[in-house]
Amino acid sequence: MSELLHRIAQILVKELLELRRDRWARFRLIVPPIVQVLVFGYAATFEVFGVSTTVLDLDHSQESRALIASFEDSSRFKVVRVATTQQDAEGTIDRSQAAIALVIHPGFAQLLRKGQSAPLQILVDGTNSNSALIALGYADAIVSTFSQAYQSDFLYRTQPASAAGRVEIALDDRPWYNASLNSRWFFVPGVIATLTLVMVVNLTAFAIVREREVGTLEQIMVTPIRPFEFVAGKTIPFFLVGLALVSIITLVGTLWFEVPFRGNPLVLLLGTIVYLLSTLAVGLAISTLCRTQQQAFATNFFFVNPMFTLSGFSFPIASMPPVMQWLTYLDPVRYFLVIIRATFLKGVGLEILWPQLLALLAIGGGLMSLAVLRFRKSLD
Amino acid sequence: MSSTIPARATAIQVERLEKRFGRFVAVHDVSFTARSGEILGFLGPNGAGKSTTLRMLCGLLRPSAGRALVDGIDVARDPESVRKRIGYMSQKFSLYQDLTVAENLRFFGGIYGLAGAHLTARIRYALQMAELADHAGSLVSELAGGWKQRLALGCAILHEPRILFLDEPTSGVDPLSRRRFWDLIHELSGAEVTCVVSTHHMDEAEYCNRIALIDRGTLVALGSPAELKRRSLGGELLRIECTPLDHALTALHDCALARDVAVFGSTLHVLVEEAGASREAIVSYLAEHGIRNARATRIDPTLEDAFVQLVGRGERPPNPVRQPVAARAAGARA
Amino acid sequence: MKARRISAIAIKEVLQVWRDPRSLMMALLVPVMQMLLLGYGVNLDIAHIPTCAYDEEASPDSIDLLKHFQASRYFHLVANLGSERQIADAIDRGRCKLAIVIPADFSREIAMTRHASVQAIVDATDDNTATLATAYARAVVQGYANDVQADLALRLAQAPAPAAIAEQSRVWFNEDLDSRNFIIPGVVALVLALVGAQLTSLTISREWERGTMELLLSTPVTPMELMIGKLLPYFAIGLVDAGICLGFALFLFAVPFRGAFATLLFTTSLFLIVVLGIGYLLSVLIPSQIGASQMAMFATIMPISLLSGYAFPIDQMPAAIQALTYIVHARYYVTILKAIFLKGSGVAALWAPIAALMVYAAVVALLAARAFRRQLA
Repeated sequence: MSELLHRIAQILVKELLELRRDRWARFRLIVPPIVQVLVFGYAATFEVFGVSTTVLDLDHSQESRALIASFEDSSRFKVVRVATTQQDAEGTIDRSQAAIALVIHPGFAQLLRKGQSAPLQILVDGTNSNSALIALGYADAIVSTFSQAYQSDFLYRTQPASAAGRVEIALDDRPWYNASLNSRWFFVPGVIATLTLVMVVNLTAFAIVREREVGTLEQIMVTPIRPFEFVAGKTIPFFLVGLALVSIITLVGTLWFEVPFRGNPLVLLLGTIVYLLSTLAVGLAISTLCRTQQQAFATNFFFVNPMFTLSGFSFPIASMPPVMQWLTYLDPVRYFLVIIRATFLKGVGLEILWPQLLALLAIGGGLMSLAVLRFRKSLD
Repeated sequence: MSSTIPARATAIQVERLEKRFGRFVAVHDVSFTARSGEILGFLGPNGAGKSTTLRMLCGLLRPSAGRALVDGIDVARDPESVRKRIGYMSQKFSLYQDLTVAENLRFFGGIYGLAGAHLTARIRYALQMAELADHAGSLVSELAGGWKQRLALGCAILHEPRILFLDEPTSGVDPLSRRRFWDLIHELSGAEVTCVVSTHHMDEAEYCNRIALIDRGTLVALGSPAELKRRSLGGELLRIECTPLDHALTALHDCALARDVAVFGSTLHVLVEEAGASREAIVSYLAEHGIRNARATRIDPTLEDAFVQLVGRGERPPNPVRQPVAARAAGARA
Repeated sequence: MKARRISAIAIKEVLQVWRDPRSLMMALLVPVMQMLLLGYGVNLDIAHIPTCAYDEEASPDSIDLLKHFQASRYFHLVANLGSERQIADAIDRGRCKLAIVIPADFSREIAMTRHASVQAIVDATDDNTATLATAYARAVVQGYANDVQADLALRLAQAPAPAAIAEQSRVWFNEDLDSRNFIIPGVVALVLALVGAQLTSLTISREWERGTMELLLSTPVTPMELMIGKLLPYFAIGLVDAGICLGFALFLFAVPFRGAFATLLFTTSLFLIVVLGIGYLLSVLIPSQIGASQMAMFATIMPISLLSGYAFPIDQMPAAIQALTYIVHARYYVTILKAIFLKGSGVAALWAPIAALMVYAAVVALLAARAFRRQLA
């Protein structure tokens, strides 16, 4: 047993020595991840604020101005242009100068004062449908608030005996875990999973393939070392790198982006360890398929890319076609993302997350066994 | 191209050429000229600066100092024009392995501006010269070493350059293929193509018109093989056959006539002032010292002998391609 | 500059790509794979959100409201919960993303005051889904309120008071409000950028690593001829790839196409020049194949996924990041593609991003020409 550990330690020492001499590698391990977290944290967002709006008020009444003011006051909209004609207003949408145009036709106030429905035309650039939908939702909210306020005021003043009050049912929305609906809280923790995936798989695959390509693998295999020991020695450094990465990103996320961490760090640690098992296994599996670093690079892409895209990292799994949703059950990233988000935002523990951990363990264990088996065969 | 403009008498003119890489001086104060149609050999151990010099002449490296005129054009000032008139074979085989023989030829022909019937004719010539006509459609990766070298030569002469630079063209090639290759070079030389060939094979150096001996970045000697041999020794060689050899060796150490003695297999090579006069004197000297069966014959020095003499004795480890006998001899002389 | 030399180089490049299975795979397989993966996988629209209900009242009215939710294609009622604690459990476990809580005095409040409120607890971990879900939930509740209103009016034989403001919204360009319609054109940009840069990033470094570069340098070929000759075949491949992606977009994903093919061809060619030029530049700067292709990957995937505007709207990013997007070449092409597909824009309307791409192409070509080492040292 001690011999086994000794041999593993030998490989480990060699790896760490090589790593220490390779300054470029150290740079590559620290700087790009941090840069990516920062850029991701700032760029990735589906939130909608300050939608560029064109306003066309052909009524020029107190009511029309009040309605427009309620849009101007909202942080969701930013009036960039006051148009003078319908053509003018529509032109701004056409030329992508504004995403929304509010058009109030003459007679607006008149209709309101008569207790009738006054139309508000909203033109939306549907190109980015996601933002359009969200913007429309906000517009809806502003309009109905204005509507209700005006109506109750109107009814109070005029007290028509005949008209019945309008039925209003309010939806009191309670966002849990992310009360301010901050996109960053969703993305930044997720970056932990994806960045670790890419880096660990890459490093592991390349490290082993490089030895194969250069010929040192052959040299090592004629020594008493057993394949399993070699694999262990090779992968442990990258396991440590993975742990370091997770820690760095967690720190950047919590300290820089102020993403809350409500759960138990130990749960995250446990999840990380099991997740890393999967990523190392994938890296190892890839190394058994390739002879040269060039091949490793291409194969990496074929594996890592789908894992990344189908993980639910930025696009919800629930919106994918059923076939793809089934496929995601095989993706370890999917489960780790659930664990991460649950630990950061939901603050739940093992009692909730045990299915994900189990799944990760199963996938990781299975992949690792397969990979080691393949690795042994590939040596012949 | 070579038929329209008359060939100049001096194909290459090099004056105090120098190349520094940082603080390391790879080539220092090298000067020589090469005649049109001459086969000039660069001979020297690995790392002597042969390739560096060649590359400067091709316009691949910029000289740190000095001047080189190739076909009358200053290499440092106008490397573009130089490239049009020369052919180059690099030390590492550098044709396209994933292309066929014909495709490689067509590619380089196109690069040198050949087209149409002219290109076809030149390709046919190159295939014939390289004896690759039957393998025109084979991928280069499938060819054996010697064939590849001939193909590389073929690609280098498509555009009928007047000057060829060949950097260790026969490295890693079997002796038979090497002979065939040198036959080609002689053919080209006969057609007034100047060939500058670098090699560290002693036997190949004998095929050259003149040899430039390069060691540690400097031109140690320049001359025909015969001249070099004559010049280097500063004397003539006698081969002494006798027994016991070691006794004779010891005895001759004290002989005034014998300038240098060394063991060569089961004989002794003795360096004397004049072979004719010394022959009998040596034999009698040996007889005086108890060796009566000595026989002395005058022999021609080999280039190896010359090389060792000129480059320096024992100051550098023996070059691996030299014959083991000479190595022992060199060691003994030191 | 001699056409003969350029064609010699181009022919050689074609032969080499043809005989290298990896390059072919990258050129043909990757676009297909990416289009399928991203085309199907990238979808922001929500449907069948798992929803729980905690109906404190369990009256005909509340049940009716829940029926409205069930009828909506956006929601899928998975459970009726019995207590508030169960809500926390359900959302924690991820059994449902939305929980509707109907208070015990729901129907009474409506009858008496015509005003009631319903709580929607939403799992906001994924804020985008949460925002959309809330908006749709609001719409469902509004629909229910309208029904109650109409019913009331019928019973009281009174005309209901109309809402003060009637919204008339018209959506332009992506009338279906299908997120795929705007994401998939962006995916095309991503694919072309990725494949293009990958293919050309190997071309010069491969010559260095295999040793053929030295021989090439000793020939009269000039850097410009070399660049043009090498990039021509990849340009052709790029157009084929663009065709493949376009085919997928139009026929598999049914993205509306309102523009002119000529405009698309012109702008795509321009983008290809930029993309291929970048890969070539990397190949010149980094003499190792593996280094060059890694750099090409890094310089492509991350910036384009995040900063091109294909999925994340640029105008919502902080100012500093928005400034960064100006150097992302795909940003301009994504804008162009979305405009051509959804708005039917022509060259005139797109002069700004087109000019930007032209400048980009010129800069890259210049850098590549300068960086190319004509000598070994």
